[in-house]
Amino acid sequence: MERQGVIDRLLDHYQHPRNAGPLADADLVVVGGQPDCGDQVTVYLRIDDAHRIAQMHFTGQGCTISQASASILSELVVGMEIADAARLDDEWMLGILGRDVVHNRSRCATLALSTLQTALARLPTDQRNAVAS
Amino acid sequence: MTAYAYPDVLVDTEWLAAHLNDPKVRIVESDEDILLYDQGHIPGAVKIDWVGDLNDPVVRDYLDRDAFATLMAGKGIRNDTIVVFYGDKHNWWATYAMWVFKLFGHADARILNGGRAKWIAEGREMTRVIPSYPATSYDAPVRDDATIRAFRDEVKTHMHAKGAMVDVRSPQEFSGERTHMPDYPQEGTLRGGHIPGAINVPWAKSVNEDSTFKSPEELAALYGEQGITPEREVVAYCRIGERSSHTWFVLTYLLGYPNVRNYDGSWTEWGNSVGVPIAKSYQG
Repeated sequence: MERQGVIDRLLDHYQHPRNAGPLADADLVVVGGQPDCGDQVTVYLRIDDAHRIAQMHFTGQGCTISQASASILSELVVGMEIADAARLDDEWMLGILGRDVVHNRSRCATLALSTLQTALARLPTDQRNAVAS
Repeated sequence: MTAYAYPDVLVDTEWLAAHLNDPKVRIVESDEDILLYDQGHIPGAVKIDWVGDLNDPVVRDYLDRDAFATLMAGKGIRNDTIVVFYGDKHNWWATYAMWVFKLFGHADARILNGGRAKWIAEGREMTRVIPSYPATSYDAPVRDDATIRAFRDEVKTHMHAKGAMVDVRSPQEFSGERTHMPDYPQEGTLRGGHIPGAINVPWAKSVNEDSTFKSPEELAALYGEQGITPEREVVAYCRIGERSSHTWFVLTYLLGYPNVRNYDGSWTEWGNSVGVPIAKSYQG
């Protein structure tokens, strides 16, 4: 995707965030923060019986990249096995978002992912490593 | 009302609107939010990012002489260009960019009073068109790290000499209760508190709600009543030197203090350093 297309996608997610707002029946709720530019993201996760992420919602405030990345991530991880989600890394996230555009705010770009992974780390080990049935 | 010490260094929105097409003027937007510029900017403005453009990518330092000259050439800025900075957060990052420009001695650097917020609040024109200017030749001197920049050991000497020191962070950071701004998450500074002898004047006390700077009388009282007076050498610091660049600007250009340095190592260096003392009032 060309640079302007990457920017337009980020702006669209920032201005029209998907899965925004608390999740009432969340199994996990974790607050994450980025001191360099004041970004905050709270991740709400619902895990299904097959050890997959059934839903991810988020709330937060901060710069365009931190909030847009939370919105994009919330769409991508639905249906993903917990073990697979736990293996996602910053490089993956930067690639998804558009490295050329976000690399100077990489900590903002990976805030939602790191918060998600903090949440997953709170699951019992057997559930975290389970293969979906 | 008395005047600012260097009134020409502040331009208002009306002045800028009348100079949008002035070839002697280059407008520079510098923000915390790196995609604000892409959502709309003042017509003709170029973007300079404090991370991507002004910081050295490897060493904790600023760009060097050659990189600055290249940056200026690419933005169509000459040595005699009037550079007008503006940005988000009460011009916090605009003054930071201006401070870096002054490390290289750029002669005519100004701030848009009220910044991005005031321009938008007045309903003035914004665009998403990214301008392109012919490359210039910019003669950059070696960066001057002595006049307006302070390093840790110099600050240590200044502290022992009981020099004037302004900690521009929030009261909670100053007291040691937090190591960052209120509502910002805790981060990895080892100790909370402040440099012994520093007084606390949060940077944003120098601006009004519309992001314009307070009057000369208000600013003189704000700092003077705390003992930060023009005849003293002053060091300002915050967390990484960005908020304190705003106070550096106020003291230097609006109040005319002749000897103000910004300690960009600030609390992220001092609060983690071996062999330096701290003071704190928070006992929690």
